[in-house]
Amino acid sequence: MRPLRLRTRVTAGFAAGALLISAAMAVLSYDLTRRTLLDSRERTAVRTAYFDATVVQAGLAADGDPGEVLRALDTGASRRVAVRRAETWYLRNADNGITQAIPVALREQVAAGQPSRQIVSTDSGAALVIGVPLPDGSQFYVIDSLQELGRTLSVLGLILTLVAVGTTACGAALGTYLARRALRPLASVADAARTITAGDLTTRLDPAAAPDLERLTSSFNGMVDQLAERLERDRRFAADVSHELRSPLQTLAAATSVLARRRDQLDDRSAQAVGLVVEEVGRFQALVTDLLELSQGDQQPARAPVDVADLARRACLDRGLSPTIVTDAAGADRVWHVDERRFAQVLANLLDNAERHGGGPVAVTVGGDDTLAVLDVDDEGPGVPPADRDSIFGRFVRGRGANARGDSNGTGLGLALVAQHVGAHGGRVSVIDRPGGGARFRVELPRESA
Amino acid sequence: MASVLVIEDDDRIRLSLTLALEDEGYGVRAAATAEDGLAEHRQDPADTVLVDLMLPGLDGYDCIRGLRRDGDVPIVVVSARSDTHDIVAALEAGADDYLIKPVAIKELTARLRALRRRSRAALPVPALTFGDLEVRPLAGEVLLRGEPVALTRTEFRLLCELAEHAGQVLSRQQLLNRVWEYDFGDERLVDVHIGRLRQKIEDEPGAPRHVVTVRGLGYKLHR
Repeated sequence: MRPLRLRTRVTAGFAAGALLISAAMAVLSYDLTRRTLLDSRERTAVRTAYFDATVVQAGLAADGDPGEVLRALDTGASRRVAVRRAETWYLRNADNGITQAIPVALREQVAAGQPSRQIVSTDSGAALVIGVPLPDGSQFYVIDSLQELGRTLSVLGLILTLVAVGTTACGAALGTYLARRALRPLASVADAARTITAGDLTTRLDPAAAPDLERLTSSFNGMVDQLAERLERDRRFAADVSHELRSPLQTLAAATSVLARRRDQLDDRSAQAVGLVVEEVGRFQALVTDLLELSQGDQQPARAPVDVADLARRACLDRGLSPTIVTDAAGADRVWHVDERRFAQVLANLLDNAERHGGGPVAVTVGGDDTLAVLDVDDEGPGVPPADRDSIFGRFVRGRGANARGDSNGTGLGLALVAQHVGAHGGRVSVIDRPGGGARFRVELPRESA
Repeated sequence: MASVLVIEDDDRIRLSLTLALEDEGYGVRAAATAEDGLAEHRQDPADTVLVDLMLPGLDGYDCIRGLRRDGDVPIVVVSARSDTHDIVAALEAGADDYLIKPVAIKELTARLRALRRRSRAALPVPALTFGDLEVRPLAGEVLLRGEPVALTRTEFRLLCELAEHAGQVLSRQQLLNRVWEYDFGDERLVDVHIGRLRQKIEDEPGAPRHVVTVRGLGYKLHR
């Protein structure tokens, strides 16, 4: 099972704690209150009963009728009274339930001359039965209803329950608040990490903002420092290498052009050697340019509206190809939002690739639909075996056909650059079979980023 | 014979560029420092100057500014630096074009020829007036409220191109193609030159009235 989120766990813990404490408090205070109230109620009842007993005793001594004597008592609504004399019950008025409510054991105790009391349950709720033996051998009973007390206690119980529920909710709320507060510094760590991933390496955490997370803050900042330093080192290295390679290449480029001009004046062997030098310097130059381009590849493209079909026609003209091989599918938008320089390179490299390995490009199609912009470059070559279709976009990977033909004019970086440029635009490049033979290199860009 | 002054501290590059450009029919003089180059140019102004950016003593930017103070000679930077801020800083200092080493001699001579052509008038019209701005293509003059404005040849050519199509939007690539003769060029060239042009012909370069930016499309000159 997936572990619960920390916030959920803290909230649940606080709620459970609050529930436990408030429930215990409620039970204790209910019990204590009940005892105290019952105690004082009992005492009052007993006192009243003895007072009544004295009155009854005096009435009976005056030889009155027990019924009359009882009727003379001020009993209120909650008390009922009875006298048992010589195995006969005397009541105030006809209420039959009363004699049954008095337990036999209690009656026997009182009959034996022992004043007693007991809580019983009657049809109309709990009641306190008090029996007082009278000197003349008869017994006086009071049945005092505890209904009023019961109601009070149930109201108290309800209030205490509500308080417990409220406390639990407050506990849960406090837990949520504290968990969020405790986790807030971590949220700032997450935010900082996101900004850094987005490329802002100057972001640091403020150690004063979250003193509890001091270790995390300092190691996080240390990590970013190191990362920034390493990136800066890499960037400087690339710049140094770039400069160190560019300068001698400039000398070579200028010097070979001087040599190339004088090829006619050289003997055959020298002319041949000069030819090789000129070619290799050209290739070296292309290689360094491509490598440097690749090393800067993660830069954001400078987008502008570009007529891709027009761009393709110009690229064809540059290579001495007929611009009529370029077609734009009817209805498709041929103006894409792309970096013109980088897309010109994409087209150039795909055309060069078709020339070098596919027997020359036969069709360039600009099309797609509302969601996807598609550019296809078709050739009539042997095609690309399925096993090689991913790897040919790697660096320094040359097609099998190229090796067989001994053609090594390419830098081995052309398709890698295509993949990188297209990737920087949020699209992808792939190679599939062209219907009718040959390879089809397909560039796809989502319309929203085209 | 067109003359070129090469200011480059690397002995081998200086020598090879001298040999190659002489082969292409240029009269080449060379200097190893900015100081020597500036003195050489003052004594006998060259038609075009090639400048490296990393030079001992005065650097390439100072050198460009020094040359600009003296006049409107076309300046081409030939540098191993390819960072945007280096390119923009060199153009803002007053360079007309920026080439990244290694540059093929064919490409270099194509750039030099394009620069030379830029000094010729584009359209055979005596004068075009845009409010307080008057462009005289044949005379090679620009007047702001009757006062002559000192523009470099590239700035002048750029203004003529915009003037010829006044009221029309020209994209950066169109301007690159027509003014710099690039098939595919670096659009920063256009942006920085437009900025330099505005400094000279606008009362408030930050809120231009003549040369306005059309977002996502390019620039146009208000009629």
